[in-house]
Amino acid sequence: MKLALILNGRPCATDVPDHWTVLDLLRDGLSLMGTKYGCGEGVCGTCTVLADGRPIRACLVLAAHVRGRALVTVEGLERDGRLDPLQTAFAEHGAAQCGFCTPGMLLAAKALLGRNPAPTVDDVREALAGNLCRCTGYTKIVEAVLAAIPGAR
Amino acid sequence: MSVRLHPFELVEPDTLAGALDALARLGGEARLVAGGTALVPMIRLGLVKPDRLIALHRLPELAEIRRDGGALELGAMARLADIHSTPIVGESWPLLAEAVRRVATPAIRVSGTIGGNLCYAEAASDPAPALLCLEAEVRVAGAAGRRTVPVVDFFRGFYETALAPGEIVTAIRVPPTPAGARSGYVKFTSRSAEDRPLVGVAALVVPDASGHWSDVRVGLGGVAPTPIRARNAEAALTDLRSQVALLDQVHRAEAVLATLRAETYPDWPSTSNDEGHNGHERSAGDSPI
Repeated sequence: MKLALILNGRPCATDVPDHWTVLDLLRDGLSLMGTKYGCGEGVCGTCTVLADGRPIRACLVLAAHVRGRALVTVEGLERDGRLDPLQTAFAEHGAAQCGFCTPGMLLAAKALLGRNPAPTVDDVREALAGNLCRCTGYTKIVEAVLAAIPGAR
Repeated sequence: MSVRLHPFELVEPDTLAGALDALARLGGEARLVAGGTALVPMIRLGLVKPDRLIALHRLPELAEIRRDGGALELGAMARLADIHSTPIVGESWPLLAEAVRRVATPAIRVSGTIGGNLCYAEAASDPAPALLCLEAEVRVAGAAGRRTVPVVDFFRGFYETALAPGEIVTAIRVPPTPAGARSGYVKFTSRSAEDRPLVGVAALVVPDASGHWSDVRVGLGGVAPTPIRARNAEAALTDLRSQVALLDQVHRAEAVLATLRAETYPDWPSTSNDEGHNGHERSAGDSPI
């Protein structure tokens, strides 16, 4: 199956099996290992990526479903060698321990800030619902997202 | 280590006629896929092994959300996130907007569709109890033509719908919310907010000038093989004395809860800051994580 899309700001044309999901496309087709395979059922959130700015579960969405759309993975957050403010805030607030949930957390947060530049704590918690972290207990992650709001510091 | 999906061939028609033709031609183990949020995990777990999938994402007419006279027409492929964020839905069908907003998580609602939710026919559906209360209808197309099935007749049994082989759900028609209606959706989950409802309750009442509920509708999810209308509860609640007794009980329960909170947990933080209640009822304002 031929597939063309915009991946992290660049045109991408490839050929994948019909039954591949977006996660298969990213990890196995394009060797982008930032997006993690967790539960494979859309429950844990670690495979979250953005499609046209909105969060999707890469393990649930068929590759064909993102044809022609703009995908952003954790590899695409950095711009010209500079980390995204969310990445900086996660590092500064100790919002990652083992790091397995971090790509999904970053992209769920990125989607939130894209549509709501001034979210409340509850908005952040709602946007991150379904992104499971078994290390940190979420407090530092929520603090990091709040710190990354434009003008927060 | 990732578990790959059982291989299938993907068919991507770009018209409804093409989709119906593909369904009729392929039949057998071919399955329709809308958002994939239910079907893909079932394939990954090996519960179904379709050798062909017919994807409906290239049919833009199936994704429309529009007002039609006083009714709401939701294309079967309308995404749950788009439904609850469409202003006319929140303004004129607040019960539906509230229930749809409680489905799973933001990322699931971006992919999941209203048609897919109904066709999955899971008992623990959030939108279904609301659509039952609103007396919505399911529009169906097939080789023999089109027909309309009331939502209450659409669910036939455990994961079973009234769809005949070769039929496709094209839209959901939601009649106007009755004038003056008050409604709400309450979801009980055993662990966290994004779970399927252990019990989901949609209720709609129409008070008359004296405050008597002349029209009472209750939809339940998670309690029976399919989402159901709670007809006995509705009949009981249409009785004025029952209403007075119920409201009296609600007020007493609220008073007891307030006393318990104040006396037992003087330093209890607000519910938006604590995690991990068991069997907690999550209202829209509560913390999801």
